[in-house]
Amino acid sequence: MPGDSRRIAGPQDSRAPHWFGRQQETHQEAGGTRQDGRGDHDLRPVYLHTGVVSQATGSAYMEMGQTKVIAAVYGPREISRREEFTMKGRLCCELKFATFSCRQRRQHIQDNQERDGSLIVLQALEPAVCLDKFPKSQVDVYITVLQDDGSALAAAITCAALGLADAGVMMYDVVVGCSVRQCGEDQWLDPSVREEFRPEVESAGDHGMVTVGLLPSLNQVSALVLDGHLQQQTAVQAVKTCISGCQGIYPILKDCLVSSTRRNVPSLEQKSGQTSTDGQNGQT
Amino acid sequence: MSSTLGVLSDAERLFIVHGVQDDLRSDGRACEDYRHVEVETDVVSNTSGSARLRLGNTDILVGVKAEMGEPDPGRPKEGKLEFFVDCSANASPEFEGRGGEELAIEVSNALQRIFNSKSTLDLTALCIIPGGQCWVLFVDVLVLECGGNLFDAVSLAVKAALYNTRIPTVIVTADDEGQQEIELSDDPYDVKRLDVDNVPLIVTLSKIGHRHVVDASWEEELCSLARLTVGVTQKGTIAGLNKEGSGSLDPESIYEMIESGKKVGVVLNSRLKEALEKEENSKREKVGFLG
Repeated sequence: MPGDSRRIAGPQDSRAPHWFGRQQETHQEAGGTRQDGRGDHDLRPVYLHTGVVSQATGSAYMEMGQTKVIAAVYGPREISRREEFTMKGRLCCELKFATFSCRQRRQHIQDNQERDGSLIVLQALEPAVCLDKFPKSQVDVYITVLQDDGSALAAAITCAALGLADAGVMMYDVVVGCSVRQCGEDQWLDPSVREEFRPEVESAGDHGMVTVGLLPSLNQVSALVLDGHLQQQTAVQAVKTCISGCQGIYPILKDCLVSSTRRNVPSLEQKSGQTSTDGQNGQT
Repeated sequence: MSSTLGVLSDAERLFIVHGVQDDLRSDGRACEDYRHVEVETDVVSNTSGSARLRLGNTDILVGVKAEMGEPDPGRPKEGKLEFFVDCSANASPEFEGRGGEELAIEVSNALQRIFNSKSTLDLTALCIIPGGQCWVLFVDVLVLECGGNLFDAVSLAVKAALYNTRIPTVIVTADDEGQQEIELSDDPYDVKRLDVDNVPLIVTLSKIGHRHVVDASWEEELCSLARLTVGVTQKGTIAGLNKEGSGSLDPESIYEMIESGKKVGVVLNSRLKEALEKEENSKREKVGFLG
């Protein structure tokens, strides 16, 4: 991949020092709980907040444990490039990992994994957005992962959907993302980066990671990605666990939207006679 | 993606959807039938392995080139596999210039996903000197004609080409000062082959109406909003899964699709293996491209 000449890039062949040390062990020690003390089907604490970018039509910030994602939505605006006329609007998604977000430093230019992620997020959001309400216009969604501590793709899906909702883009439903890591018999919901599926360290067997994007009130799956090798039964089971995980995050997202509406409409605030809190902390 | 390849009138669309509902598609197939597949290996002499595959009207040519390079620092004892997909303008005028790039990235990501596991291909067999030299296999996919179901056709062709790949044997010797030297065998028949038994094939299931079909033609692809690409190995393991398209799917229908994907994929794997072994053992003249 060619470098960006406008920026001063680090040496191409530099390595972070941890490459030379002992490789981190990946999973839990034998005997039940995970490294951070969660049960197998527990989510990390989720924090959601809307309206974080004042210039954008809508924006959202999400934390899942240490994974931090910010999304900004611009539009609907006229399609800038000269293209054929469509009665349907167009949705554009760009997912980017900040260069310092992962253990290994990333480049400024979108790499293959980010392009793949952008497409997954786009296809996760498309079924939810009423695109026929925006003829010949487009909505841009920019998602930046500030810190990747596992399940970044799932967080990106949720955060982007919240941003769209904050922008007032008409939608059939929000989209909630959730990941599951399958390791032999064990199934870990919402894996952290040390629990995530890394093909280079995995031995053969039932190993993989599933990410699902769910339209929770319509009960439709809009994104489904599986990496690794799984038996059919295990794969189906993992998808089911993901769906229940999504259903766990959904109420937090709803609460966040309600409180952001209260913030934005002061008359509602007076009627209810109480101050709303910023975002919600929740754990299932 | 393939919506760029043409348009369909409402009447045609309705005809296809109703046909699928009654398990009879416009070319006479049932919902879980593949089109006729033709495969031929060793078609390009300058490669280490090559295959040409025709699935209905979809035409794929794959060339594998083995070169020597440095392994990734994180995986010093393994060789590398690189996929490049080229949607040539032959297949569709929309692919001209950078037009095919988006589709090409989608296909190469799908390939990357199904090969993204240690149990797929033994990459340690491609190691020459741990941490120093390894074989890098460049798998170049050329799409010559696009008649629907590109993903399945590409994965079939890639597996056939990898089956056909022959990597020359090299001998590593150390001289007195401990310098390692690589020596290539003089005998052109002194080669090693890859074990492709665990390489998965992609089965794409397109949701049309309330049912799903495998191996959709391009007309059928236009009628479907959501597709599921399922990687299936010979033993029936699910290796990679991705939902594509702008539609969403019911969880129940996803489970059904995974099941029928697995069923079809296992058969497809064994048929391909049979065909490749039969071709290798027969002394038949090469047909070439216009045969």
